[in-house]
Amino acid sequence: MTTAECYALIGADYTEVLRRMGNEDRVRRFLLKFAEEPSYGLLCRSVEAGDAKEAFRAAHSIKGVCLNLGLTALYRSAGDLCEELRGGAFTDAVPGLLRRVGEDYQKTINGIRELAQA
Amino acid sequence: MKKQGMILIVDDTEMNRSLLADMLSEDYEILEAANGVEAAAILHQRSEELSLVLLDIVMPEMDGFEVLALMNKNGWIGRIPVITISSETASTYIDHAYDLGATDYISRPFDEKNVQRRVRNTIMLYSKQKALEGMVTEQIVEKERNNFLMVEILSNIVEFRNGESGLHVLHIRTLTEIFLRKLQEITDRYPLTAARSALIVNASALHDVGKISIPEEILNKPGPLTPAEYEVMKTHCALGAQIMEDALLRHKEELLQVAYNICRWHHERYDGGGYPDGLRGEEIPVEAQVVALADVYDALTSTRVYKQAFPHGVAMRMIMGGECGVFNPLLLQCLRELGPRLDDELRLRSLNDVSEANIRELSTQAIAGSKVSNRTLTLLEQERTKYQFFASMSNEIQFEYSYQSDLLTLSEWGARQLGLNVLIEHPEQNGELHGVFLIADYLDLQGRLRRATPEKPIVSGTYCLNVKGERRWYKAVARPLWEGNGTEQAGVIGKFVDDHEEQLRLEQLRRMAEQDSLTRLNNHAAARRWIQMALAREDRSYAMVLFDLDNFKEANDRYGHMFGDEVLKHVARLVQKSVRGGDIAARIGGDEFLIFLEYSGGIEPVIRRIFDALHGEYQSFEILISMGIALSPENGTQYDAFFHAADQALYVAKKGGKDRYRFYDDSMQGVLSVLSPMDA
Repeated sequence: MTTAECYALIGADYTEVLRRMGNEDRVRRFLLKFAEEPSYGLLCRSVEAGDAKEAFRAAHSIKGVCLNLGLTALYRSAGDLCEELRGGAFTDAVPGLLRRVGEDYQKTINGIRELAQA
Repeated sequence: MKKQGMILIVDDTEMNRSLLADMLSEDYEILEAANGVEAAAILHQRSEELSLVLLDIVMPEMDGFEVLALMNKNGWIGRIPVITISSETASTYIDHAYDLGATDYISRPFDEKNVQRRVRNTIMLYSKQKALEGMVTEQIVEKERNNFLMVEILSNIVEFRNGESGLHVLHIRTLTEIFLRKLQEITDRYPLTAARSALIVNASALHDVGKISIPEEILNKPGPLTPAEYEVMKTHCALGAQIMEDALLRHKEELLQVAYNICRWHHERYDGGGYPDGLRGEEIPVEAQVVALADVYDALTSTRVYKQAFPHGVAMRMIMGGECGVFNPLLLQCLRELGPRLDDELRLRSLNDVSEANIRELSTQAIAGSKVSNRTLTLLEQERTKYQFFASMSNEIQFEYSYQSDLLTLSEWGARQLGLNVLIEHPEQNGELHGVFLIADYLDLQGRLRRATPEKPIVSGTYCLNVKGERRWYKAVARPLWEGNGTEQAGVIGKFVDDHEEQLRLEQLRRMAEQDSLTRLNNHAAARRWIQMALAREDRSYAMVLFDLDNFKEANDRYGHMFGDEVLKHVARLVQKSVRGGDIAARIGGDEFLIFLEYSGGIEPVIRRIFDALHGEYQSFEILISMGIALSPENGTQYDAFFHAADQALYVAKKGGKDRYRFYDDSMQGVLSVLSPMDA
């Protein structure tokens, strides 16, 4: 599986990422690295712990990383959650947004794992 | 590859840091901090080394704004540029970061090229700025001077191409300056600051710059121009203005604006009949009006390819009669009031303005050989200005001499000090100069400079100058300047430093070295030197008198050494009194004295008088002396023989019962001497 095919699988724009990042090797390295990125774990833990501020920063991190890697779907859902948490409190909308982030995250990670195994 | 700086990346997300590091690590050394606290720690330790900080805003512990605040507090923000990185595109965020001193921001997603370019530009900008700050002060000072030089060179290129006398530009400057000054005197209609006037004078030299684009055959046509050619010639006004306008796009210089006005409108007429725009009366800027008049006056009074030079009077009549255009009545009044003085001043300045001539020579060289770059010229001029500046500040008489022009230039202060002119042509024949600096001394210094070599260029000497009727000692230090190849001397630079007090002090020391400290008479070594000099002259008669006190031991024994010293001083005073100005008196031992005198006729009465004068009492102590006398040339023509003869005569006088004097005669040969033979 190529990096391009992986991006297609995840549903993200590879051409744009390649242009920005400069070369395929870098895109691939950082995409694989995303699987070990701790922000999603941090997000889940801070939600469980009821720490809205920490959850905001974690969502913010996911959003930033996904923006850089061109992981469009996860960037959008993490961004929405981030805006909801900016106020520093868990609002009614948070659980729904969180669930969407989870789904997009899983989809992304699955794609990346396939790339790693290929 | 050599790293171009050190960058601190501050971001709480490891992936972001490593992505940025990945993009930048080829060119830069990278430090990372996962939050503001870590960043602060690194800044504290290594702020001197950092070239740039890439700063995330949203971070735990201490966010990006707090890091910026800390950098402000510690004064790092002025030296280390900060680029903020954020996916927050809300303008309040960005504005706040700018307010806190951030230089730029990079938004996510990172674009490799964009990141690299911004980082590089920011670092370059900051290092440039640092270098610029150091230069700014100097630049401000030099700007005016460079402008001046630029104007000179540019206008001389035009002159050169024009084939005109080469003095035209200088004349225009001088005339413009004179007219402007007069104009200020007679009216307050054109209020100009001194700075503005200087600018106008400076810019006036550029009035014909547009001619650089006029074809050679029209420009230098000896006969009258055809109507078509005349139309081409007339375009030089607009062409010159265009040059200034183009330059104005790049540099907003007042000089260029003034030059624009002059270039474009120096052929307008006060009645509106001129070109290129047909401006009328005061529509024509005053600087262009003044330069127009200067241009016409100089054109009339100078030789041109198409005409002879008219004398001042004729030129005046032609201008006043309206034959050469229509001018502002106030300017004509200036011209009238200045009258013949204009002619004098023009000639005077052209002759004396050495610096202008130098610049002209340099620019001619630059055009002819293209060997000298403008940069070199600028440097040269700066050096010269620096030299003149320091010369004017220091109280030294500095001078410069050029073999080629045989011109001696004194620093202003120096000239004032010596009561001489700053410029001295043909110094070797200049009587006034030699009234101050004796011709013999002048030739001595000149000879020594001629003999100086590039290996040993510095010549120094002490000369006595006649300064305003007083003779004072000066120390001269000078060196030749050689032509490029080092074989031929081109000139000399140097200075005279007042050394009078120092010389007097040396004189004093010399005298002290020659004196006996107790009696202030000469000591033996000094006396010997003087006597040897005197003996060298022929056909003269000298007597050497040696005497000692018969009872000096008694004085010491009975009254103590202090008293003995007083007796010696007393005797020294008696000796001083009994000798004439040209005689030499010395104390040559404990109680032994020497008198050397020139005589003619009988010597015996002279000796008798001295012998008697030295007798007497000092505080009831009776002074008795024995004296031996030798004559030269009879008893010896060399010091040693002469002295020895006198010594033997003294011995005989003592042997004969003291308190007497004896002349040397041949019978004394072989007798012992009183004094220990100094030179035997």
